Amino acid sequence: MESSLSVRKRWKYLIAVSFLFLLVESIFTTTIGPASISFREAVGIILSKFSFLESLFGGKEYADVHETIIWTIRMPRVVLAALVGGALAVVGVTFQGFFRNSMADPYVIGISSGAALGATIGILTGVGDFLGMFQIPLFAFGSALVTTWVVYNLSKVGNKVFTHTLLLAGIALSAFMSAIMSFMMVLNAEEMHKVFYWLMGSFANRNWDHVIMVSPLILIGTALLMFFAKELNAMLFGDSTAQHLGVNIDKLKIVLLVLGALTAAGAVAVCGTIGFVGLIIPHIVRIMVGPDHRILLPMSFLVGAMFMVATDTFARTFFAPVEIPIGIITSLFGGPFFIYLLRKKKVV
Amino acid sequence: MPEINVQQLDFSYGDRSILENLNFEIASGSFITIIGPNGSGKSTLLKNLSASLIPQKGAVLLDREDIYRINKRSLAKQLAVVPQDNNVDFEFSVLESVLMGRMPHQNRFTGDDERDVAIARWAMELTGTWDLKDRYITTLSGGELQRVVVARALTQEPKVLLLDEPTSHLDIQYQYDLLELLRTLNRTKGLTIVAVLHDLNLAAQFSDQVILLNRGKIMAYGPPVEVLTLQNIKEVYQIEAVISQNEITGRFNIIPLGKFKNKPDGVKNIRVHLVCGGGKGAFLMDRLYQHGFEVSCGVLNVGDTDWHKARELGLEVAEEAPFAPVSPKAVEVNRRLIKKSDVIVVLPVPIGKGNLANLEEVLAAQVNLKKKVVIIEQESIDKRDFTGGTARKLISRMIKNGACTRKNPNDVMELVDEEINEIVKDR
Repeated sequence: MESSLSVRKRWKYLIAVSFLFLLVESIFTTTIGPASISFREAVGIILSKFSFLESLFGGKEYADVHETIIWTIRMPRVVLAALVGGALAVVGVTFQGFFRNSMADPYVIGISSGAALGATIGILTGVGDFLGMFQIPLFAFGSALVTTWVVYNLSKVGNKVFTHTLLLAGIALSAFMSAIMSFMMVLNAEEMHKVFYWLMGSFANRNWDHVIMVSPLILIGTALLMFFAKELNAMLFGDSTAQHLGVNIDKLKIVLLVLGALTAAGAVAVCGTIGFVGLIIPHIVRIMVGPDHRILLPMSFLVGAMFMVATDTFARTFFAPVEIPIGIITSLFGGPFFIYLLRKKKVV
Repeated sequence: MPEINVQQLDFSYGDRSILENLNFEIASGSFITIIGPNGSGKSTLLKNLSASLIPQKGAVLLDREDIYRINKRSLAKQLAVVPQDNNVDFEFSVLESVLMGRMPHQNRFTGDDERDVAIARWAMELTGTWDLKDRYITTLSGGELQRVVVARALTQEPKVLLLDEPTSHLDIQYQYDLLELLRTLNRTKGLTIVAVLHDLNLAAQFSDQVILLNRGKIMAYGPPVEVLTLQNIKEVYQIEAVISQNEITGRFNIIPLGKFKNKPDGVKNIRVHLVCGGGKGAFLMDRLYQHGFEVSCGVLNVGDTDWHKARELGLEVAEEAPFAPVSPKAVEVNRRLIKKSDVIVVLPVPIGKGNLANLEEVLAAQVNLKKKVVIIEQESIDKRDFTGGTARKLISRMIKNGACTRKNPNDVMELVDEEINEIVKDR
């Protein structure tokens, strides 16, 4: 069999192994923190929550405190970090395919700021309170969608999307929306710190409600994006080639923009703007598995999730008891990485 | 049965009209090339045929179905395109890139089965890209990439293949390889081929039918011999060209000569007489004729290459029976032609007893009538003098009397221009 195809046979195992690794990592990180809990105990507590498994493990009793720490405090945070990391990476991959450019990222091109503005409006004005806990995600989504559309049209000259206009449009729009957010924060000084911390990006004090709130956006968005793996592959060869291969490019672009904005908004709505994950992760995964979206999308989700879980654990433990907003960490690593990419690619 | 039917097609970019009211049919199984100068709308037409661009007015029918309405996937099963620009920044292997041609035939989640791989392999072997299968597409040269793209298009198993200047990145051997491959597919599989080509000779050589576009309109559509005429080429490309039957290939060749120059007004009556034969004069006849000079030749034997050319252009010729020496009667005709002419050009033809009279007449006219004489000495007279020195003597006497000598027939054009200026002054 041909060598460049035989690689594909390993995809399934790669995904399975990565998923297993993510699972172990997630459980392991729940044991890290001021209260020391063993890995075995953590596994037991988590399994005990699935009642149908209880018979298997004989309903062993665990300390209430430990159960609360693992299940109510640390676990939702880990799950959320995994979802958000995966979502940002998948959106990054999608937009990189969409723009045929490995510099695109929800943060760089302004979608994250767009979602953040929507969320800020939701938090501060209270408009749309009747939507309940879906208010903020929906605001973030709507605003992200508009931003994506604007950036896309700004960076399109004729039928081509130019990198520099794309980045500039993203920067300009981000700055504009940050100004609006700052202005709103000034007007609502008493709630300023709330929005401020949220904007820096953090998983602190998140609970299962947050997971329930954003997992539909993220899971549905991600799953649907994976449907379009082949189309995204074709898009890497250019719009006209994709079209000649039977892709309805105009329709597909709209679908991808909506799904990308949906998924990104899910991530931003719950934990603020966490930059550069959508840039770094796809880049690393592309080096590992190549540009084929059929493997790139699922692997980016898994690696993004692993990365975020690890980074969040670092954020909450390294300077304990002080917690660093995770957005600061990702930007500390991501900024230089982005510059490295720019230098290497010599983007015109 | 027509495969593609273009009806009243208008296309414009904004206010700028590119294609105007095009109506034509492309028969199933034909090999068509679209030619025309830059900006004539060739690529735009091809993009309209592939539904990449949607015309403002009119329709393109593929098997009687409007291609803008056919769903993209079923269109991709019938029609494949090799676009001009194929740059890719992402590291797909060549084989994976070619396999993407199977996309319209596959479901969303199915991978490539053995049949898909077999078809890709077939296409890659035809295009000579199978050896590249594990290379990254980003590392290929322009020519290799071009052939990979053709392989992908063939992997779609289309009925119609559209190509936009497929030979532009290719070295000469690959140009022929590719076009010959296309012709083979056209002949054996009945694949309909529509290609935009720059090179008129390739178009003439490979296609059944040629569409000549000029300023968004079809100037001519038909077999190459009918479309690629001097008149059409001159009108569309504004250049002079020579069309000659190639003795080696038997095909006709178009040799572009240069930008077309209109002769100055008031010199319509300048006459040039050529002493030629054996094809030595054909080039000059053509150029002079195209410049609007009146050209005559003599004496030529019937059936001679130059005689054919002169007849084709409708020139006045003093002629003689095939292979016969020049008779007094032909000399008489020739003398009249020489007398009427303003300039006489002696081309480097072999001189024997049979045609020595031609030189004698020229010398006589130079001495008695003060005619201007130009001698082309591409090949020394010593090597083509079969009269034991008489011809050489005649030539040197002409030179002594003030005849110009030139190395190349092409130089004559400049010289003739100078002569014209003088003649115009004299009048």
